[in-house]
Amino acid sequence: MKKVLIVDDAAFMRLTIKTVLEHNNFEIVGEAENGRVAFEKYKMLQPDVVTMDITMPEMSGIDALKIIRQYDSNAKIVMISAMGQEMLVREAIVNGAASFIVKPFKEEQIIYTIKKVVGE
Amino acid sequence: MAKTKMEEYLEEEEDTQKGKFLTFILGDEFYGIGIEFVTEIIGILPITEVPELPTYIRGIINLRGKIIPVMDIRLRFKKPFLEYNERTCIIVIDILDNSVGLIVDSVAEVTNISEENIVAPPSLNTGFSNTYIKGIGKVNNDVKLLLDCEKLLSKDELETLDSINV
Amino acid sequence: MSKNESISEKEVEPVPQFMNEPMLEMYIFETTQMIEQLEQAILISEKGGFYEETSINEIFRFMHTIKGSSAMMLYNDIATLAHSMEDVFYFLREAKPTLVDYSQLSDIVFEGVDFIKVELIKIKNGDSADGDASGLIEKIKEFMTFLKSENPSGQSIESKKPETQQKYYIAPEKKITYDAKNFYKAVVYFEEGCEMESIRAYTIIHNLTELAEELFSIPEVGSGSDSDSELIKENGFKIYVRTNLSYEKIESFLQDTIFLKELKLEEISDEETFLSFKQTEGTNFEENEIKLPQVLENRISKEPINKEQIWKEVGNNAPQSVISVSVDKLDKLMDLVGEMVISEAMVTQNPDLVELELENFTKAARLLHKITSEIQDTVMSIRMVPLSTTFMKMQRIMRDMCKKLEREVELQLIGEETEVDKNIIEHIADPLMHLIRNAVDHGIEENEERIEKGKDRVGTVTLEAKNSGSDVLVIVRDDGKGLDKERILTKAIKAGLVDETTVLTDREIYNLILLPGFSTNENITEFSGRGVGMDVVSKNLQLVGGTILVDSTFGEGTCMTMKIPLTLAIIDGMNVKVGGSCYTIPITAIKQSFRPKAGECFTDPDGNEMIMVRGNCYPIIRLHKYFEVQTVVKEFHEGVLIMVEQDARMICLFADELIGQQQVVVKALPNFIKQTKNIQSLSGCTLLGDGSISLIIDIGGLTQYRTSK
Repeated sequence: MKKVLIVDDAAFMRLTIKTVLEHNNFEIVGEAENGRVAFEKYKMLQPDVVTMDITMPEMSGIDALKIIRQYDSNAKIVMISAMGQEMLVREAIVNGAASFIVKPFKEEQIIYTIKKVVGE
Repeated sequence: MAKTKMEEYLEEEEDTQKGKFLTFILGDEFYGIGIEFVTEIIGILPITEVPELPTYIRGIINLRGKIIPVMDIRLRFKKPFLEYNERTCIIVIDILDNSVGLIVDSVAEVTNISEENIVAPPSLNTGFSNTYIKGIGKVNNDVKLLLDCEKLLSKDELETLDSINV
Repeated sequence: MSKNESISEKEVEPVPQFMNEPMLEMYIFETTQMIEQLEQAILISEKGGFYEETSINEIFRFMHTIKGSSAMMLYNDIATLAHSMEDVFYFLREAKPTLVDYSQLSDIVFEGVDFIKVELIKIKNGDSADGDASGLIEKIKEFMTFLKSENPSGQSIESKKPETQQKYYIAPEKKITYDAKNFYKAVVYFEEGCEMESIRAYTIIHNLTELAEELFSIPEVGSGSDSDSELIKENGFKIYVRTNLSYEKIESFLQDTIFLKELKLEEISDEETFLSFKQTEGTNFEENEIKLPQVLENRISKEPINKEQIWKEVGNNAPQSVISVSVDKLDKLMDLVGEMVISEAMVTQNPDLVELELENFTKAARLLHKITSEIQDTVMSIRMVPLSTTFMKMQRIMRDMCKKLEREVELQLIGEETEVDKNIIEHIADPLMHLIRNAVDHGIEENEERIEKGKDRVGTVTLEAKNSGSDVLVIVRDDGKGLDKERILTKAIKAGLVDETTVLTDREIYNLILLPGFSTNENITEFSGRGVGMDVVSKNLQLVGGTILVDSTFGEGTCMTMKIPLTLAIIDGMNVKVGGSCYTIPITAIKQSFRPKAGECFTDPDGNEMIMVRGNCYPIIRLHKYFEVQTVVKEFHEGVLIMVEQDARMICLFADELIGQQQVVVKALPNFIKQTKNIQSLSGCTLLGDGSISLIIDIGGLTQYRTSK
């Protein structure tokens, strides 16, 4: 089973993504509510893929993306964005995000994206 | 003591408990309660009186940490009170989320009474309908008065059955 | 999105399929929390007359999160409403306008908050969130428009040139000569609903730059504009690439595109044809003024990352050390702890051991008791929640009332850190609300009237919480006009609540207002005065074993004191013997106990037994008579008198003897008994160490009996 780290400051979003992914045979190895914790957990848990919310307090998703990619150039990170955040998503792509999903998303969309990213 | 008696009476646990009645004795009469209501049978325990309640509610007992109210069936049926002795039993019934212990003279047995052998209670001379008898069961040549547990636990005054003509 | 659309969407959309109970609960919990914090932030800002940057950021983030979560749950009215408010705060954050009507802003945001609150209640109750926010959204949009027109500096955001657009994907300076001989044209179609097609297209370009020597596209992407996305949705994304890679390699690369629906890949035969596409179909990007929507522009984080800063932050570990626990689990834990306390008593106070001298056992038992006590204290402390959240809610109410009544009143909070059992806190909010409303509506006078009376222009309502024994006192005090004894008495007599001949103390008169059907207010205001206020408060408090006391000084103010037990489950009790039965009296009610001397007690003409203690007369209740217990101890000097107090009433209870003090676990009387009769004088029962049951006396219930007899 592929290992996933979920990063989002909203507990509800983390729960939603976790529910959907676990239902589709992914293992959620950890959760983080900001970029700083995300980086810590990434180092500790070495997940196969990370779902990363763009807007977070303390350290944004973009900054966390940069730091994790710096630490691990093979890190696979899928950004979770809201509508209207095109420029931020673009910046994420430039900084090595594997792909992105836009809220509100459907179950199939996130599953499809994660699966594609991990190479299933 | 409690466990063995319970094991005795409730040994065979079938999926359907319908048709099975626990019978007990009050004076000369045999009464029956649907086994589905009975959770256990124990000997008499020290009763702590609680004020302001009807006389037939004797008080509360400590059943392995659980506080259960106990009701004297004799008094409930407006029969004369009898001192408790070692044969006196408490039948704990569970109905409508209430656990209540019924104090009876003694417990008889668990017996099967099929639907055909149950007749409706006779109309009383007094014409009251507040009767606690759900039906009359015939087992061989004996008669068991089958109780309506919900009525038993209601606040209603229960009219006495002066005589039963079978 | 209209209401009807969203309803049918709910039936059709697969999203709710993954929704389950925990998710719904989490949504409700988190959104409720955010709404509460939002309210606080707005209240504080409004009070200060200014929205600080941190508040704006905070409020923006809350709206953003609520928008996201609500959209996922398909609560589209809430999502759109949150979005419109998010836009307002985004504007405030970026444009930093100077001409802002903060009062109006606060009102609008409060309206939004209230809407969401109502929807949340519906959702909690299992009803559909069918509120229509369109009117409110319109209002917010109008506010935005007005805000922008008042603050023309906002235009500068729009006229700012977009960040240097990458005109060439691959800088032409890099390559002087092109070697690659393969030319391809690819048209990519994306799946419906994948969103941000232009950025998805950009992703392809971004990934292709390594593999291509020359690269351009129609449309030119990277600006993330909606028009680009529309174009792509309609005509597909056209990519022209010069590369060394084979057809298969390019095809396989492009096939990997996420959300790819269709790929049309064709080889272009020669360089000339390839370059022709640049001029004819493509837009000359040098001339193209790509207009960025002003809102998006500023969302690019301009500051370069301060690496040191981040490493430092990362090193500082302190993660959030709070978890949320289901209240059910806590309740179960409480029950088990209660059982444990009883079991421990049953072991250490077992009748089998009474005669024996067991030194080692006693030592061990003492240690056991110490540990169980600590567990007990810890578990109870887990369930304790500070009153601050409840107090904060009152701020909002105060604010609304002041606005409506056009009266300036200040709310002072003292002791909001005082903690109360979680179960109880829910029952405090409503009574408190009533009291605050009463204080502001009936207590505090109009500002001018206050000045005439020589008082401060702004009235003060003080909300104070403090511990008192095993109770918590929550006091609502106002410096308003106080209660009119005469009016209350007259009204009570008229309503038949009290007999004219009865002599009452001042306090007793004031407490008449707690009786049902009482109201001296001729004008029923929106907030209070229908005569349903105070007795509802009293009833609500009784549900958690609390009481309320009214005191006042005419012309100066009124004071309402709510006394609530810290926890329902475990109390300090004094066990007393009456005949063969045992009763427990809550220690907090006991003032003193003593054995009266023969002849100290007397009987008054009505047959009531009493005793004089230090000049005061106290009635006596014989417990054996009251509870109808047989006992041989009938003479006062043979037994013991326990003086107890409840609600400023003091009486003496006569029992056989004191057994001892003990911490008892309060067990409710069985439901069956409660259904049969509501016994006022008992608050429950408890199991003693020897397995016997002791009934816990409710002093209030007992004293009421005495006064009424």
